[in-house]
Amino acid sequence: MSTLDFEITQRPDFAMVSVRLDAGETVFSEPAAMASMTPNLKMKAGLKGGLRKAMGRLFSGESLIVNTFTAESDPGEVTFAPGIPGDVEHYFLENNSLFLQRGAFLAHSEGIELSAKWQGAKGFFSGQGLILLKASGYGDLFFNSYGAILEIDVTDEYLVDTGYIVAFEDTLDYRVVVLKGSRPAKTLKNFLFGGEGLVCQFSGQGKVWIQTRYVHPFLSWAYPFRPVKQRN
Amino acid sequence: MEYEILAHPASSVARLTLDAEETITCEVGAMIAMTTGIAVTTTSGKKGGGGGFLKGMKRMFAGENFFLNHFTAEEPDQTLIIGPTLLGDVVFHDLRGGTLIIQGSSWLASDENIEIDATWQGWGKALFSGESMFWVKATGDGAVFLSSFGAIYEVDIDGEYTVDTGHIVAFEDTLQFKIVKAGKSLIGSFLGGEGLVCRFSGQGKLYCQSHNPPSFGKAIGPKLKPR
Repeated sequence: MSTLDFEITQRPDFAMVSVRLDAGETVFSEPAAMASMTPNLKMKAGLKGGLRKAMGRLFSGESLIVNTFTAESDPGEVTFAPGIPGDVEHYFLENNSLFLQRGAFLAHSEGIELSAKWQGAKGFFSGQGLILLKASGYGDLFFNSYGAILEIDVTDEYLVDTGYIVAFEDTLDYRVVVLKGSRPAKTLKNFLFGGEGLVCQFSGQGKVWIQTRYVHPFLSWAYPFRPVKQRN
Repeated sequence: MEYEILAHPASSVARLTLDAEETITCEVGAMIAMTTGIAVTTTSGKKGGGGGFLKGMKRMFAGENFFLNHFTAEEPDQTLIIGPTLLGDVVFHDLRGGTLIIQGSSWLASDENIEIDATWQGWGKALFSGESMFWVKATGDGAVFLSSFGAIYEVDIDGEYTVDTGHIVAFEDTLQFKIVKAGKSLIGSFLGGEGLVCRFSGQGKLYCQSHNPPSFGKAIGPKLKPR
């Protein structure tokens, strides 16, 4: 189901979404997500939902600004592509909520509210911002990943490395637990005893979307190739 | 154990289904998601087997982690999703009694009864191959999962074959190899950007990767802020 007429192409490595807007229709996106559009669309950048909501989004790693694209008198089309190459997934919200990992929001239709949810201790211990964006309302939501997105139907319990979570339905309960040895060692202590990874333990019934790659390990891989600063 | 490669070929991961008591040994950091009936143990050697401090050290030089993760299903029908760091493919190799020699970081996972060890390729090969000094040696019967940077292509060698060292993923040890200059002269080889290459001979299977991780690192590294 959807309210928008859309098509996701180039999955799963270079996915983007094209939205065809009827006259009078509007779609909202993460800034800089617009790749191309018909010239009749009117684009407006703004703080959607007031300053407080916007600050919340900033806190969750999303931008303060949400761009608005409106087809005023004639139909038009806009294509959104995420900054990181990867996958795009569509979810239709029917007065329920979906949690998004930081950076995963791409676009949404009218009728969707975004707000940041501070996870308190859950986020604190994860150390990698399990500060989630909460999308609720009635309409279409598009989110993106690094690597491909896999959809998992959780019927009982399921564990996901926190870095690989893209989104999950709010019908699921979750808590962050330490999984010993699951990550490469970073300090001398865990060099001797094995690195610790953090996993999110989901329970209940609902869907979780995970990504097949994670940006941080790639950055750690690239780090040794950086030039060394000259010391005078 | 059953397996399925998903999101092939650029964002590949392996989804493994384990029966009760089955164990798979993975590179540390490979686990993406799993069901809750799986126990994780971390060792520096074979699961339940004798010590592996030296083996651990050797693996570290091979570009692998000091530790290994063992995932053991405690209940039937458990699933585990594993994947590598870089964008690229994952392939399954059915090892039947032979030995597979794997480029440092291309080893992703293997059956528990496969012995994982680092192998020293000799000074000449170590110094000039431009890769890690050790390779990972997998011996035994069972599944081995390999990962690549970019796409993987297979070459069935019968006779001789030349590969740039950075493009090697793994090869069967029925093949001999030596490091040779790509061109006639050493300077010419380096100016041509090929440097030293691997000259295989014999009969056996070779897995190559379309992209060379050190070349990518050297291409993007200078554009990053100094550390």
